[in-house]
Amino acid sequence: MASVPSPRQRSWVRWAGPLLLVVVLAVLPLVFPESVNEIIARIGVFAVAVLGLNLVMGYTGQVSLGQIFFLGLGAYVTAYGVSNDWNIVVVFVLACTIPAVVGLLVALAAARLGGLAIAMVTVALPIVGVPLAKRLSDYTGGSQGLSARFGDAPEGTGLYDDQWRLYLVLAIGGAVFLLTRNLVRGKYGRVFAIVKKNENVASSVGISPYRYKVLAFTLASLIGGVSGFLYMLVIQYTSPETMSFGHSIQLLAAMVIGGAGSILGSILGGAYYVLVPQLTNLVDPSLTALLQGATLLVVLFVLPGGLASLARPLGRGRRSSHDRRGPTPPITPSATTGSGTAAETPETERQGHP
Amino acid sequence: MATFIQLVVDGLSTGSIYAAIALALVLVHQATGLINFAQGGMAVLAAYSAWWLTARGVPLVLAILASIVLSFLLGAAVERWLMRRFERGDPDTAVVVTIGLLTLITGICGWLFTYNNQQFPSLFSLDAVSFLGVSVSQRSIGTTLVIVVVMFLLQGLFAGTKLGLALRAVAINPQSAAFSGLPVERLLMVGWGLAAVLGAIAGAMVAPQLTLTPGMLDNALVYALAAVILGGLSSPVGVVVAAWIIGVLENLAAVYIPLIGYDLKVAVPFILIFVVLVIRPQGLFGRKTVVRV
Amino acid sequence: MNMHSRSRKALGIAVASALALTLAGCAREGGGGGASGGGASPGITDTAVKLGISTPLSGATAGPGTCTVAGVTAYFGAKNAEGGVAFGDGKTRTVEIEALDDGYDPQRAKANYDSLKGDVFAMTAGLGTPTNRAWRDAAIADEVPQVLVMTGDPLFSDTEESPWQLGFVPIYQNEGEAFGKLLASSGGAHKVAILSQNDDYGAGYVEGFKSAVEGAGNVQIVGELTYEATDTSVDAQITQLAASGADVIFNAMSVTPLTVSALQKAQQLNWLPRWFLPSNTSSPGAVVEPGGGAAFPAIYSVSFAKAPASPAFAEDEDVRTYLAALKEHGNYPDAPAFPHCQWSWMVGATLEQAFAKMTAPTREDFMRALRSIENFEAPLMLPGTAVSTTEAGQPAVPTVVVQKYNGKGYDTVEAFE
Repeated sequence: MASVPSPRQRSWVRWAGPLLLVVVLAVLPLVFPESVNEIIARIGVFAVAVLGLNLVMGYTGQVSLGQIFFLGLGAYVTAYGVSNDWNIVVVFVLACTIPAVVGLLVALAAARLGGLAIAMVTVALPIVGVPLAKRLSDYTGGSQGLSARFGDAPEGTGLYDDQWRLYLVLAIGGAVFLLTRNLVRGKYGRVFAIVKKNENVASSVGISPYRYKVLAFTLASLIGGVSGFLYMLVIQYTSPETMSFGHSIQLLAAMVIGGAGSILGSILGGAYYVLVPQLTNLVDPSLTALLQGATLLVVLFVLPGGLASLARPLGRGRRSSHDRRGPTPPITPSATTGSGTAAETPETERQGHP
Repeated sequence: MATFIQLVVDGLSTGSIYAAIALALVLVHQATGLINFAQGGMAVLAAYSAWWLTARGVPLVLAILASIVLSFLLGAAVERWLMRRFERGDPDTAVVVTIGLLTLITGICGWLFTYNNQQFPSLFSLDAVSFLGVSVSQRSIGTTLVIVVVMFLLQGLFAGTKLGLALRAVAINPQSAAFSGLPVERLLMVGWGLAAVLGAIAGAMVAPQLTLTPGMLDNALVYALAAVILGGLSSPVGVVVAAWIIGVLENLAAVYIPLIGYDLKVAVPFILIFVVLVIRPQGLFGRKTVVRV
Repeated sequence: MNMHSRSRKALGIAVASALALTLAGCAREGGGGGASGGGASPGITDTAVKLGISTPLSGATAGPGTCTVAGVTAYFGAKNAEGGVAFGDGKTRTVEIEALDDGYDPQRAKANYDSLKGDVFAMTAGLGTPTNRAWRDAAIADEVPQVLVMTGDPLFSDTEESPWQLGFVPIYQNEGEAFGKLLASSGGAHKVAILSQNDDYGAGYVEGFKSAVEGAGNVQIVGELTYEATDTSVDAQITQLAASGADVIFNAMSVTPLTVSALQKAQQLNWLPRWFLPSNTSSPGAVVEPGGGAAFPAIYSVSFAKAPASPAFAEDEDVRTYLAALKEHGNYPDAPAFPHCQWSWMVGATLEQAFAKMTAPTREDFMRALRSIENFEAPLMLPGTAVSTTEAGQPAVPTVVVQKYNGKGYDTVEAFE
């Protein structure tokens, strides 16, 4: 849809929105109090984690219950590198590539199996990951975990640490979102959608579902690794508890609540993951489980398509007006379940990231 | 040798705990095509209601029966008022709804009964029975026997009764089931109700061993899921056998394979699943399903 | 129409950013959190002081977590009802407590800390090693006290490493060591089986125990196994250890249901060793009795707190005040199911001591006052134990006494029988 050619005179309008957004995002960290910046940074961490899950599950239809493992792995790699004084760029690259390689190996084996088997193999990742992290205590610090403080504001910027960290989260997270958005809007996105809809159809048109499942899973692991890096930047501590199975389940819930197969939904999912525990604490800290469960059910009961579906009616209206002016796009991939890529519009997404 | 046999027997007892929940998961899956993460939570709520009644002087058997009736109503109500909205939609959303339900029920249990450990009385004595140098408690034997009986009832339900066939027809294709005159909505309610009943039985059986807490079955759930996949989603006998295999093999692996040990024994069911599914994608006892293009 | 909505949006964004720029012009207050110089620290006024707690109130550790809040809330609830707490600077303040649930998730614990640090004077009483470690560095950087926390992790009692921290409960090593010493001095030959939790808790206990029996010719360790806190059963471990022929089991477990089933399983196997249980899973009513502990020749534990359920303390003045306050001010109507309730009550009493020694309403002065308490016998403390915060490397409660189960409660013992 992004490929709809716009009249030349409108191009400045097309750029004005994103540009303004970048300006706003650049200014807000300076304005907000420290606690708000920290909350936004945490939302960024988990929005990236949810985005990775969305890539493999929302866009490609492969159930993954193990995304938190890749966040944990990325966090461990980061913590280990930082505490050994490695160059931070090297640490970042490793925090991306190591989870991606592990994800690739897991996917090569798991993607041969059917849908539920992939789910079970991914369940195994956090379940086995926790005792494995304890056993490798030379690298992971065992059950006491690893602390690593980095990303303090450089001298001369005049920024507070929380502001500098939020900028880093916005820059790295924003880049990941932008790249992922381009990926799912392009050729790969269409193939993922076909694989999600019907693997046999995919095979019949010469697409190897296996290869694309492996690709999606590997990219999701890589993005999980990035979220782990950001986790260490913001939380500054990781332990086996970080990757417990319960958190993986909550991440899955956040993805569906935000909106499966939606870029905006990933941001909303991250916000849900971070904000709901804090809000329930405000209401009654001894009833958090009850309130969180009730919130989840109410949200999905009202919006089965997730929070992102709130933005869609607006988007659809805009798209149809686009269509009237320009040529209709050649293919509309799988706009069936209301969670497909087609229901998204550039406008709704620009609100969320640079 | 005596230790080896004792470890096998211990594994069977632990496997029975996994099997108890796994059977309820299979029933819901057969009836609706869903994995219900809240199954354990509903079982815990049933166990709490039985415990609450016994604490007020109701005899244990009556309390468990009451919790079973209550569970049927709760299961049916959950289907009617909650799950129905999601049954035609994205299955991922429905699964997440069951996750929300699990969180909610756990929270309700914690709120009503606190997060403290409660002692749940057992139907069976804790005294040990010894044979061939192996000891096993009457409670474990009783639990296992109850689960075997439930397993055969369930197998009979699926294979030999109209209700069982109808439930399966609904799960496989609700539209064509409706066209052939089946009361789809009522059948789904019955399916959820029956699964909750199995959960209530499971809860009453394992609560004395695990000690009643709101999260009592959270850890067992993962093993139960593994047993369900390993045994094949459609076979109660297969699932129970798979749960026993998991219970026994994880003990033996922990003791006799130093690389695994007690910390990584949790990997055993997953390694097993992987190996079995590579050889038999439908699980140990499952039926092959034909995929339509 | 499309143009309208677009221009309206653009206008909205423009207004928002103009607003943002205006706000950016205003100076930002309190970036680093603490270090506020001469004036009072955040969270304290002339009439009130606010304390924060991040602890698990949901999930698997919610039982003890709820206790960590209830005890200290009850303590200060009762004090507030009497008018407040007298501080060393001559003012009387009421003590408010804001407790948040972290579900034993380090990330949520850090989030709780971030949201509390600006409002509270000090953080206290929270349960859990990873959940306290998660924001330890931040608390040091922000100079926010993180004191009397419920973890036996030695890091929190290391004054060099943790200048703004202090653990409350004895470090795990001390507890294991206390029993090891008793066993080593018993004179008789003992074969010991060890079953410990696979984390710093279990490892700390075992480390302390081993250091105490090292070189003792009469103690031989014949089996050493671990379990995971998430396991559903420890039957296999008990079976394997029973085969070792040990006459003593050192059982460093923190999960109540598993401790109960370990006791039961050993009886089924007719293996009846002398049993050691740690301080947090040796409750007579919640663990030993349901586990059928009377079947064993002896059950030992370590403790520093009176067990309110024990008949010996039924008429004890401390215990009666405590139980009444727990009901009235602690929002905890049931009998305390975990010793953490008692510990948290003692945290309240210890904080009161520190408040009385404070001469300025600052976090720095509070830390100085807190680190100057010597041999304070807090309410509910057993004879032979006391709060002492002056020794480097030790938590607020550095000592424990070994106790033996007497069928209903525990008696302090001097020798292994």
